[in-house]
Amino acid sequence: MLAAGAAGTALLATSPVAPAAGSATTAAPASSSRAFRHGVASGDPLPTGVVLWTRVTPTAASAPGSGRGPRVEVRWEVADDPSFRWVVRRGRAVTGPWRDHTVKVDVGGLRPARWYWYRFTWQGRTSRVGRTRTAPAPDASPDRLRWGVVSCANLQAGWFSAYRHLAARDDLDLVLHLGDYLYEYAPTEYGAGQQDTDVRAHVPAREIVSLADYRQRHAQYKADPDLADLHARLPFVVTWDDHESANDAWRRGAENHQPDEGGWRRRRARAHRAYDEWMPARMSATADLGDGTRLYRRLRFGQLAELSMLDLRTYRDQQVATPLVDGEVSDPDRTITGRQQLHWLKDSLRPSRPQWRLVGNPVMIAPVTFASLPAELVDNVNDVTGLLPRDGSPYNVDQWDGYTDDRRELFAHIRDRGVRDVVFLTGDIHSGWAAELPYDAGTYPVPVDGEASAGVELVCTSVTSNNLKDITGTPPRTTSVAVETAIKADNPHVKYLDFDSHGFSVLDVTSERVQMDWWVISSRTDRRATAAWSTSWATPAGTARLERASRPVGGGR
Amino acid sequence: MTAPGPSRRTVLRLGGGVVLSTAATAPAAATVAARRGSRRRRAYVVVLDGCRPAEIDGELGLDLMPTVRGLRDGGRRFPRARSLPVMETIPNHTMMMTGVRPDRSGVPANAIYDRDLGETRTMDRPADMRADTVLERCRRQGLTSGTVLSKEYLYGIFGPRATHRWEPFPVVPVSGHAPDAFTMDATLAMVDRFDPDLVFVNLGDIDRVGHSDLTGTSLQLARRAALASGDLQVSRLVDALKESGRWRDSLLVVLADHSMDWSRPDRSVSLTPVLTDDPLLAGNVVVGQNGGADLVYWTGPDRDRERAVARIRRLALATDGVLAAHDRRRASSWLRLGPEAGDVVVYARAGWRFSDPSPGSNPLPGNHGHPTTAPIPFFLSGGHPAVRRGTSPAAATTVDVAPTVAGFLGLRGAPRGGWDGVPRL
Repeated sequence: MLAAGAAGTALLATSPVAPAAGSATTAAPASSSRAFRHGVASGDPLPTGVVLWTRVTPTAASAPGSGRGPRVEVRWEVADDPSFRWVVRRGRAVTGPWRDHTVKVDVGGLRPARWYWYRFTWQGRTSRVGRTRTAPAPDASPDRLRWGVVSCANLQAGWFSAYRHLAARDDLDLVLHLGDYLYEYAPTEYGAGQQDTDVRAHVPAREIVSLADYRQRHAQYKADPDLADLHARLPFVVTWDDHESANDAWRRGAENHQPDEGGWRRRRARAHRAYDEWMPARMSATADLGDGTRLYRRLRFGQLAELSMLDLRTYRDQQVATPLVDGEVSDPDRTITGRQQLHWLKDSLRPSRPQWRLVGNPVMIAPVTFASLPAELVDNVNDVTGLLPRDGSPYNVDQWDGYTDDRRELFAHIRDRGVRDVVFLTGDIHSGWAAELPYDAGTYPVPVDGEASAGVELVCTSVTSNNLKDITGTPPRTTSVAVETAIKADNPHVKYLDFDSHGFSVLDVTSERVQMDWWVISSRTDRRATAAWSTSWATPAGTARLERASRPVGGGR
Repeated sequence: MTAPGPSRRTVLRLGGGVVLSTAATAPAAATVAARRGSRRRRAYVVVLDGCRPAEIDGELGLDLMPTVRGLRDGGRRFPRARSLPVMETIPNHTMMMTGVRPDRSGVPANAIYDRDLGETRTMDRPADMRADTVLERCRRQGLTSGTVLSKEYLYGIFGPRATHRWEPFPVVPVSGHAPDAFTMDATLAMVDRFDPDLVFVNLGDIDRVGHSDLTGTSLQLARRAALASGDLQVSRLVDALKESGRWRDSLLVVLADHSMDWSRPDRSVSLTPVLTDDPLLAGNVVVGQNGGADLVYWTGPDRDRERAVARIRRLALATDGVLAAHDRRRASSWLRLGPEAGDVVVYARAGWRFSDPSPGSNPLPGNHGHPTTAPIPFFLSGGHPAVRRGTSPAAATTVDVAPTVAGFLGLRGAPRGGWDGVPRL
């Protein structure tokens, strides 16, 4: 239905979706599901395989992070139908306290572009049923791909209504999570709004540092009913940003890591270990534990698209410290990707790869100058976007703007090789953006030596994490409008910017164009929050430009 | 495959100053039509030489090609389409009509070093093209074809292969091509008079203006005029086909042979002085300059070739503006260039050009031949129901044109060794 939005924009609102009760149509009986209380998940779909995940709780003492409990064997089944009359694959997996009783299976032998249902069984107790979908065959030309896109879900800051609304749709193939899947903070350290109010408190009730801490935090998030339902309904493709380890993580440290918390590398190894245990992703190309934590990887979707997921935290140099910002951001010795990953990314962006080169990109790559932002708002924007320097330096140095030589090299590669249809899909900054990617921001949109734009960037907003109106404590579409206007005026390649909303995006990929729809939730502190369509932008094939789309894809329900 | 020998041709002067030559052995159009019934299929391949895909999309809000865009959006579109190495006019037109890559056709670039002749030259001789074309395949199977190629060197290399052939006229001095309006006049006259089953048209204005635009590094007025004119010429063809009732039986393939890149005067690379400064290479290398690509030939003793190739690559890669330097033999599986392309294929970065043998040799700001100029427009239109609608993620290339046209016209057989291209209907 259509309703008038706060800013006078017509909004397409969804019908109310009841909050999840911890189980939906796929739920197992309560007595059984207690053994699988952290739900089920799948991820990283390939044409003939997918990663399946669960955690079993065999004894009361086997709490996440406890390191206690027996070695157990869990059976898994994959079927063509939700009632498991046609089981196509089955097997067994051993787990125990050494891996926090998580189960991760890389199932092969499946058929491309098909829905499957899966479940786990232990001692006669069966998990809820999960649904997943394989990727199209490598040479297939699928008519479309349609994905949910999310990032920045701070449990303390609100309810995961965005996940609930995505789970209620019946037209999605998978969910792309661009990072900040969980937060490391203690209660009261980072909640909702100016006062850091905790809508819900983190467990454990401290900043997570130890392996047990990270495991418990993962367990808390996995037990959220809205997230659990979404995991059970669709495969995820995930990458991490900083909060899966600690705020502003870089190669040898993090802003939120202090010497009295031990060595950074050890802490990060714990965070990565817990991530490998608890997330349905292949690290270092396998679902096994302990064989490496390389998270950047490619997933192909026929001839239509290939998704390259980046890790922009593990290999990056430290952010520049103001006031040296102007000199060091362009230092060719500094990197956000690391040499090996940049080389790999350039290989991802080759003309011979599938049509749409999608990049799962944890932090923004579009150059953005905040030069004319009102001085009194700089700190507020800084709090939201991460990190505007307070001396008036006009760039966000936590993003690619702080590592311009990597971006220069990447964009030069795109231009030199005549690469088209590059789309960066981004999270991190708690706001919705659509931007073209100028080769020369100073002359944009006039072409320089022929071409003007390397591609486009589509940025989803946060599920719950604070945005500008939350920080300023002002009503939506008041303070932020001035900021958005100033930024767009200074950056003509930025076509859309919304600093006020929480929600999710839907990405629709056809050979003709890629479109992103931004859906916003009514309130992150309301468990029954509704979702409404805000806007849509599309990039027609071959153009590296954006245009507004008149309506969202699908019916939503 | 040997080049077609001299054949008797009849010269025919049509209205408007159009002069066509026709093979004496050509079957009369009426005979062909009678043999295959009234629903003859016809294929028209129109090359918008040097057109960039963004120019059809209306870059910078300039809606200069509404007809072409309308045909594209209503037809079968391939946004991933690319030109193939070397991204020059002659090799890509050759690929369009032969359906095979340069290592099989013998035509890798516009300019090569002819080892027999001992000098660099343009590949504009009929004997340069060693592969069979769909033009000849038409003739052998009782169909007729026509070439209406605006550039003199295309006229040269395609020679008398087509049943009906137009010699570009009037030719603009320096550019060596006929303006598009005259090219389309000739196309329409040929279609009206002979109604060939296959017509191959090159419209050269967009490319020629792109090369000759000395006024700066961005799109300028002359280029815009050429784009608008190209659009007008395509609309003239479509209108004529519709008015004559041919449209419903037609496949119209519209594409470019390559894109275009512009470089500032200071962004020019001259490899010849760099290479000839080297004691091993001095006097033993020749460069075939192709705008954004240099073909480097080792002319010294065979025993030194490996060492020389390594040296050429190292020196080239150390030169500002060079993107890549491929050992032609080692890259043969994907570069698909034969010995005519020399020993090392060097590409320029975007925004750069080659100027060999001396810095003054290539003053043109608009160039192609390097990978940044590979993306091209490529779509299938026409009124025949075989033309599907929609957008395809397939990686179409110029070499796909021949098998596409052959399949549509029902031509039997394929080149020995098969097509290198893929039928795209």
